[in-house]
Amino acid sequence: MLIAITAGIASVLPIVTGENPYVIGVMISVLMMAALSSAWNILGGYAGQYSFGHAAYFGAGAYTTMILISKFNFNPLVSIVAGIIAACIIALITGSIVFRLRGHYFGLASIAVAEIVRLSALNFDFTGGAQGILLSDVSLWGLDLNSKNPFYYGMLLVLVVTLGITLYLRTSKTGFYLQAIREDQDAAASLGINLSFYKNKALLISAALTSVLGSLYAVYIRFIDTSAVLDLRLSIEIILTAIIGGVGTLWGPVLGAVLLVPLAELLRSNVIGDALVKHGIVSETSGLGVFLKENLAHAHVLVYGIITVLCILYLPKGILGLFRRAK
Amino acid sequence: MIGHILHINHVSKHFGGNVAVSDISFSVDEKQIVGLIGPNGAGKTTLFNCITGFIHVTSGDIIFDNKKINKLRPDEVCRMGMARTWQRVKPLGSLTVLENVMIGAFSITNAAREAEEIAIEQLDSVGLTDYAKKTAGSLSIGLKKKLELARVLATRPKMLLLDEICGGLNHTETDGILVIIREVRNKGATIVFIEHDMKAVTAICDWIVVLNSGEKLAEGTPEDITKNPEVIAAYLGGGQNA
Ligand SMILES: Nc1ncnc2c1ncn2[C@@H]1O[C@H](COP(=O)(O)OP(=O)(O)OP(=O)(O)O)[C@@H](O)[C@H]1O
Ligand SMILES: [Mg+2]
Repeated sequence: MLIAITAGIASVLPIVTGENPYVIGVMISVLMMAALSSAWNILGGYAGQYSFGHAAYFGAGAYTTMILISKFNFNPLVSIVAGIIAACIIALITGSIVFRLRGHYFGLASIAVAEIVRLSALNFDFTGGAQGILLSDVSLWGLDLNSKNPFYYGMLLVLVVTLGITLYLRTSKTGFYLQAIREDQDAAASLGINLSFYKNKALLISAALTSVLGSLYAVYIRFIDTSAVLDLRLSIEIILTAIIGGVGTLWGPVLGAVLLVPLAELLRSNVIGDALVKHGIVSETSGLGVFLKENLAHAHVLVYGIITVLCILYLPKGILGLFRRAK
Repeated sequence: MIGHILHINHVSKHFGGNVAVSDISFSVDEKQIVGLIGPNGAGKTTLFNCITGFIHVTSGDIIFDNKKINKLRPDEVCRMGMARTWQRVKPLGSLTVLENVMIGAFSITNAAREAEEIAIEQLDSVGLTDYAKKTAGSLSIGLKKKLELARVLATRPKMLLLDEICGGLNHTETDGILVIIREVRNKGATIVFIEHDMKAVTAICDWIVVLNSGEKLAEGTPEDITKNPEVIAAYLGGGQNA
């Protein structure tokens, strides 16, 4: 219900904000991170299997789609499906090896797999290597893919689907089983839960959704390289967004994205540094002024880190946990 | 074979050089309550772990319901109708008591509604109805043990392995659990019961198997076992295992 209302509000937002491309760009980023973090949450939050390598699935979607469209002129929708298949193959290989082992091997292995995927993309020819892939032209059903609106609604749709799946899982056998696995694997197994089957199931759902977002992102930006879609930093941002918002809750990751993405954007675009200089609070030529101008743009990762540490210390259930407690 | 639901056939389990279970054989008849007793470190829990697939035997066979189960995974063993509880309780801490029991019930149904109905009924049967909405982690040890019991009962097991389900409980709580166990047996389940409290064991068990340092020391009826001089010397006489 809340999902429907939120989706309704979100779907008229571009009209309200007057189609300012910068604002819509930020909103697309918010929706994408909300969906990425929600997809991660199915595996990390509900099944308790922390993936530190979700960029691999994002990148799998992005690269597959870009290669198929730019080199083979595939229909974008077909290439998105191909991206899902690529991501699921990576997920199945990872899962079938690692989920047999007990303990926290999955977290480590997920980083290793993501790095292997990244280095492969960097070194193969068909992935464009270090140059990446540029997409000059793309079309679908006569939509204006030069405008940002189709991507806004595309991201919104994936977010709604992700939240819908999460909601369905929460009330179904699979969701209960995932949570049992998160709480105690021995107890779960002794109650008849096939651990590796359900972990793989969660991983596949999560990877498939993540790859769709990667595909959308790639066609939206029309350019990808490994640092844009396969970087460890992306994987970390996805996790931090979920942790800060509230792991294992329906709305936590969305809340995390709504708070953090604009904040990161603010820091990245150096609005604060510029404002401080402009209003004469800090002189442009002073050491601090130069520092702010040069470095604040990179500070969003640092800020994420600080907020995360504070969250872990004071809000182990994320910002959403704060409201839950207040009730 | 007829009537035997579980055969332990020359089972050994080595941990490196440490022989935790050594060439143990016994059988359990259907609808019996069998006590598995022995001093600390005798190998009782290890034997349970072997039977339920959490570890695999070094040698020997375990036959349940006429099928060899020593290579199966824990979840497969559970779905064959063999459920266990844990000496050190394993509540699904941040889930509610009701949800814990529902997860047990999901092994016999796919529908959340039905699982909830089974869970409600099961909570009622162990007297946990008032705690249904509490998180499992917040319960006292006595209630956690009851929750363990409700949760495995919701899987509707043919056979139930209880590892010190009365450990750490007072007399009233222990008596409450014993009443539940008898009821479960009367409904047709078979039970193997690890317990240090000899009063509880002799009160409820039809048959007793005694382990000592990984080996089977004796088996027999409660009367025989309490009179057996070897058992008295090795275990009962010691008196420090209560
Ligand atoms: N995973 C393991 N690795 C190594 N040794 C183990 C392992 N599990 C049990 N053991 C050893 O096997 C022996 C039997 O232990 P077990 O837990 O089965 O005893 P128990 O009869 O259940 O004792 P208690 O009454 O204290 O519960 C002990 O010496 C123990 O140290
Ligand atoms: Mg034990």
